[in-house]
Amino acid sequence: MKKLSMLLLCLVAFAARAQQNLLMVRTQLEAPEAMAVLKETVQEYGYTVAHVQRCDGGMSQFHYKTDYYRVLFFGKLAEARGILKHYPQMAPFIPLKIAVIAEKNETVLAAVDPRSLGRLYGHDPVLRVQFARWYNDLKSILEELRTFKPKS
Amino acid sequence: MKTWLIFPWLILAAVAQAAPDGKALYEKHCSACHQTQGHGGIGLPLTAEILSQISDDYIAKTIRNGRPGRIMPSFQTLSDAQVGAILKYIRSWSDQPPPKFPPLTKKGDAKRGRDLYAKYCQRCHGEDGSGEGSGTGVTLSREREFMVMPAALNNPGFQRSASDAMIADIIRRGRKVGGMPAFRHKLSEQQIADVVAWVRHLKPPAPIRGNSEWAGKAAYVMESPYSFEETVENLKQALTGANFRIFPARYLDQGLTDEFSVNKRQIGIRFCNFKELYHLLNIDPRLGTVLPCRINVMERNGKVILVAPNVMEIFRLFNNRELLEVAKVMEDVILGVMEEATL
Repeated sequence: MKKLSMLLLCLVAFAARAQQNLLMVRTQLEAPEAMAVLKETVQEYGYTVAHVQRCDGGMSQFHYKTDYYRVLFFGKLAEARGILKHYPQMAPFIPLKIAVIAEKNETVLAAVDPRSLGRLYGHDPVLRVQFARWYNDLKSILEELRTFKPKS
Repeated sequence: MKTWLIFPWLILAAVAQAAPDGKALYEKHCSACHQTQGHGGIGLPLTAEILSQISDDYIAKTIRNGRPGRIMPSFQTLSDAQVGAILKYIRSWSDQPPPKFPPLTKKGDAKRGRDLYAKYCQRCHGEDGSGEGSGTGVTLSREREFMVMPAALNNPGFQRSASDAMIADIIRRGRKVGGMPAFRHKLSEQQIADVVAWVRHLKPPAPIRGNSEWAGKAAYVMESPYSFEETVENLKQALTGANFRIFPARYLDQGLTDEFSVNKRQIGIRFCNFKELYHLLNIDPRLGTVLPCRINVMERNGKVILVAPNVMEIFRLFNNRELLEVAKVMEDVILGVMEEATL
């Protein structure tokens, strides 16, 4: 049963495959609000927020003109540890991340499509399932942000 | 009774399949880059002025073919009906009908066209037709007043999408939005046909390849002969020597568990050169999806290894040739740092 559900997960994830290696959505929320909603949403999907990288802060400090530009890192402890134990070369991709990029008063959210990493890992069957799972979660999380309507 | 109840649903499902929702499809597949109403962002703007100059056929083929190496992905899994629905939705922003380009009446000569291209077009479109100007979209790279860069005429996506008639029309009438002058008073119909013939000869640039030892691998992995602590120290020194600013290191599972439970033998040394970062974000604002620069030091089975993302392979995901040119330089720097730390 477990194998069947994994097969289905992969089938769904790979059937929907487009020619894009990045997952991107636009939300009509302003960037700080988008980040707040994103944090809540990843937690609803069972992930823990690890930290937020403030790229805009660093660039501003060095006098580079930039708008809100931050990256949210998140993951699941057991999953992260399991992958790092068996696949140390996956370290650059742990934890997962979503970039939050302001565009005037809207926000673009972007993440690497985990399925696009499959080729670089020799289509390892265990990672293939993991990538499909992450894809489904990231896609759903981003879709929630895209369709999010603020309570007025 | 049950069969009777199913019928309306079947009909509704069939109708839904027959008439895809262009607005919904645009918002799902296009708006992230082109903005909700086509004002442009990471992707080029689709304003009424621009739409009045490009045919439906060109837009549909651009959706299908994308622009290899120029960010715009290809959407080959969309059905004809879905592409048509997106097109219809985009057209609804403008009250002008799609343009129809008169066919070329003369047969062009590429040899003559090459000289004309060198004289009139090369300054903006480049000798090989790769276009001019860095970056993409109007988010970070350019001000909104200058919305469209000189097109990459040698791009296979452009070559497959633009008809000869459309290219000729662009030469004749110019494109105000991108600053391209009209040539109808400078060039005869024969000369325009010659330039079109030469444009068809332009070939895409050679692919950019990285270090062959690491090609096709997700990460650079090197073993260190030093202890974990010594390796971390060596790495920091090598990074400082390569003009990087180093941030507080983070354990790889830090933030996912409490501070007492983190694995302290797996650490990410984070570094940045803000000048380079700013430059890279100007080329492609989506780069945050793979930031920050980090080399990981991990202890495994009594051995210490360094693991860093393979920038050539990772940057390849962005379909942005300009980014790959930078990645090639970065690859040498990162491999140099890792080698220095493990020598």
